[in-house]
Amino acid sequence: MVGHQLAGNLIQGLILGAVYGMATMGLSLIFGVLKVVNVGHGAFMMVGAFLALSTFKLLGLPPVLAVPVAFIVGMLLGFIFYRVAIKKLIKGPELSSLLATFAFGIILEEVVKLIYGSEHRGYNWALGKFSLGVTVVPYTKLIAFVGSILVAVLLYVWFNRTKAGKALRSVVEDSEGARVCGINVEWEYALSFAIGLGLTVSSGVLLTLFIPVGINPYMGGHYTLKAFVIAVLGGLESPYGAFFGGLIFGLIENGSYLLFSSFPSLEPFAMTRFFSFVMLLIILLIRPEGLLKTK
Amino acid sequence: MPLLSLRNVTKRFGGLVAVNNVSFDVEEGEMLAIVGPNGAGKTTLFNLINGVFLPDEGTIIFDGHDITRLPAFKRAPLGIGRTFQIPRPFSSATVRENIAIGAMFGAEGKKTSVDRAMEIADHYIDLIGLSEHRDKPAGGLTPVEKKLVEIARALAMKPKLLLMDEAMAGMNPKDIDYIVDFVRKVRDEEKIAIVAMVEHIMRAVANLAERVVVMHQGAKLVDEETEKALTDKRVIEVYLGKPPEEKNAEG
Amino acid sequence: MKAKKYLPFIPVFVAYLALFLIGETVSGIWQLIAMLAFYCALGQAFNLFMGMTGYVDFGYVAFLGVGTYGMAITISKLYSHGLGFGLIAIGFALAIVMSVLLSLAVGAVALRLRGAYFAIATIGVNEGFRYLIEGAKLWNGSEGIIFSGPLRMAFGRQTATVLTTFAADVFVFIIALAAAFITLVYMRGKVGYALTALREDEDAAKVMGINVTKYKIIAFITSAALAGLLGASAWALKLTYVYPPDVFEITYTVEAIIIVLLGGAGTLLGPIVGGLVYGLSKYLLAIILPGFQLLIFAPVIIFIIVTFPEGLVGFVKLKTRGTWLENYIV
Repeated sequence: MVGHQLAGNLIQGLILGAVYGMATMGLSLIFGVLKVVNVGHGAFMMVGAFLALSTFKLLGLPPVLAVPVAFIVGMLLGFIFYRVAIKKLIKGPELSSLLATFAFGIILEEVVKLIYGSEHRGYNWALGKFSLGVTVVPYTKLIAFVGSILVAVLLYVWFNRTKAGKALRSVVEDSEGARVCGINVEWEYALSFAIGLGLTVSSGVLLTLFIPVGINPYMGGHYTLKAFVIAVLGGLESPYGAFFGGLIFGLIENGSYLLFSSFPSLEPFAMTRFFSFVMLLIILLIRPEGLLKTK
Repeated sequence: MPLLSLRNVTKRFGGLVAVNNVSFDVEEGEMLAIVGPNGAGKTTLFNLINGVFLPDEGTIIFDGHDITRLPAFKRAPLGIGRTFQIPRPFSSATVRENIAIGAMFGAEGKKTSVDRAMEIADHYIDLIGLSEHRDKPAGGLTPVEKKLVEIARALAMKPKLLLMDEAMAGMNPKDIDYIVDFVRKVRDEEKIAIVAMVEHIMRAVANLAERVVVMHQGAKLVDEETEKALTDKRVIEVYLGKPPEEKNAEG
Repeated sequence: MKAKKYLPFIPVFVAYLALFLIGETVSGIWQLIAMLAFYCALGQAFNLFMGMTGYVDFGYVAFLGVGTYGMAITISKLYSHGLGFGLIAIGFALAIVMSVLLSLAVGAVALRLRGAYFAIATIGVNEGFRYLIEGAKLWNGSEGIIFSGPLRMAFGRQTATVLTTFAADVFVFIIALAAAFITLVYMRGKVGYALTALREDEDAAKVMGINVTKYKIIAFITSAALAGLLGASAWALKLTYVYPPDVFEITYTVEAIIIVLLGGAGTLLGPIVGGLVYGLSKYLLAIILPGFQLLIFAPVIIFIIVTFPEGLVGFVKLKTRGTWLENYIV
């Protein structure tokens, strides 16, 4: 019976983990290329969540259609924020860019609060569900799962098969060398910041398929923390590492929830969050290059 | 007993052997030049001596202490000072504070109060001729001035051994002469052993060093008195067959 | 020579004394003055670590949080033992012990890390600690501790009121002064020079013989202990309850960052100037444009770090170098 329940939880964890993974790819891309930690990460996801909400509630369209819109919105925000601040802070102490991204997050939260107010919102997009024996999966979650994998694959193809992607990769590997080869490193920085935020905002759209009533201007904080844990699991600098980090995190999160639920003296929801934090510190301490990196 | 002695020191980075089985000694008050082209392993060697990296094999003995695995901050108080290839003064601190920091944490740091360190700093500021910049932030100085501040900061540490990384890189002959004269004077007065690292054998080296160690692809190629090293066939080969005199012109 | 080093403490002392006297004489503004003193003290304590080392601790509020718990636990458990004002003293002592223990635990992990990794580690500490309290139902878990009753029983209604409405704020003033004084002592001693060196270039500092870990820990613990005291007075004693989401609210860390940056990181007077400017503008904005404070402050943060990274006092300090004022503006 417990095994049954565990298998069900792990399947749910894997599905959510794929979305987590995709949600963290943008964070890792930005850190890998610019060495900037986007402390406002969760706030960008929140923007995507509100785009999904508006698409469904105002336009009456399937919320996943907001994904491309979210990507464009994220890129636009990326270019604007890059131009306004990041560009000037990239060479300075890490502290400056860290605080700047933090401030971006606050701006987004406050603007969204002005438009939508601060109460919790949600929507109900029901497409039915299917059974896997040990657990039941709604089709909407399946769409989010497939969508996340699709985005990850698209990014991989773009990186490895297109000229623009290869140029960006060369900047990651050796920015000086890339400069010498005539690549406009400045533009690549701006582009990767924009793509990173595009991915992050889009992931916020898919996330809403898992949180029926959790859409709120300040919802991002928890996801920033989760994204940090995931990014660190995956080695912080690699978007693909982040994707697999997300899968692992989803499994651990849902597995540990079951574990903590079996102790009546514990509050499993809070303990799961505490556990993810402990995991973060342990990894940073013993293996800061990430669990997946083989070096 | 030599002041510094490296025995079979090896350091690898992944598959690359940066320093390969290198041994040599430095006597007290001696002046040694380590020469080698870019990538010969000189900077790695320095980083091993002052503890930025730890070696994979071999031992390093300094002044009777085995310092092979000692953290960097514990080596400076034993009497190892260092300057960097690109000067790294503490930009926001003044020239005086920069040099005083050397005195505060160097070989006599434990018994040097902050006030005393400032007096020591003033002494070295006058010595390097930067009195008019005393209370300016070091970040605003010219590269040559920064280099001088860095040397003064290292000297204020009262080292027995001073490691100078590319001390003369990117300088004009006049500045080089000034620094060489200054270093020689300090060495004679304070009996400091100096290991200077240079890319080319040039006039400055010949004037300064008593002995030359030539590095090539991570290994020690030659370890001889300066005069002999300058005419050593293997050394000339490393430098594309050019006689050392031609290098002078470039320097 | 010796006395001259401590001249900058004069403007600090005068500023806090003036603030206190204004609050005492002008009727009806004590709450505003108390808030300003809190922000100055918060900045002063936070600056000791962030300003002097250049490391940003995004989990700083956790130290205020555990300090608040230290006082709350002491009063709610020991109120019936007839300890008199010793109860408050024990509360402060426990606040220090708890915040120092937490700083040692966090520091042991986070201070090994640099830059981004440090920030990521600390950003999790705050949330993590809060969820440990809620999840493991520690110290009454998510319900928090309310101890206004025990406080009244220990001191009587009248004294308890004085404690919460006046003494708690006076403690904040004392903590701010103590933080400023410690900052100055550090600045003028080897600790300060070591911290300057490691803030500028950590590797060069090591090669200079500076035990960077030791000095980082000194600054971290001092800053955490002051935060613990601040939580114990400004939150526990003043409000007489602790509620986990309130005392681990990341907004306070953000406010501390803004105050330090506004005034000038690593300066002695910066937190006072930053605290006053921030506190007053927050107060006024709440009247003029309620709900817009963060929306206005966030662009201000960006503006400061992009165009004005040295902050107000840092700017004046650069301008007064070489004049008689340089002995006072630090």
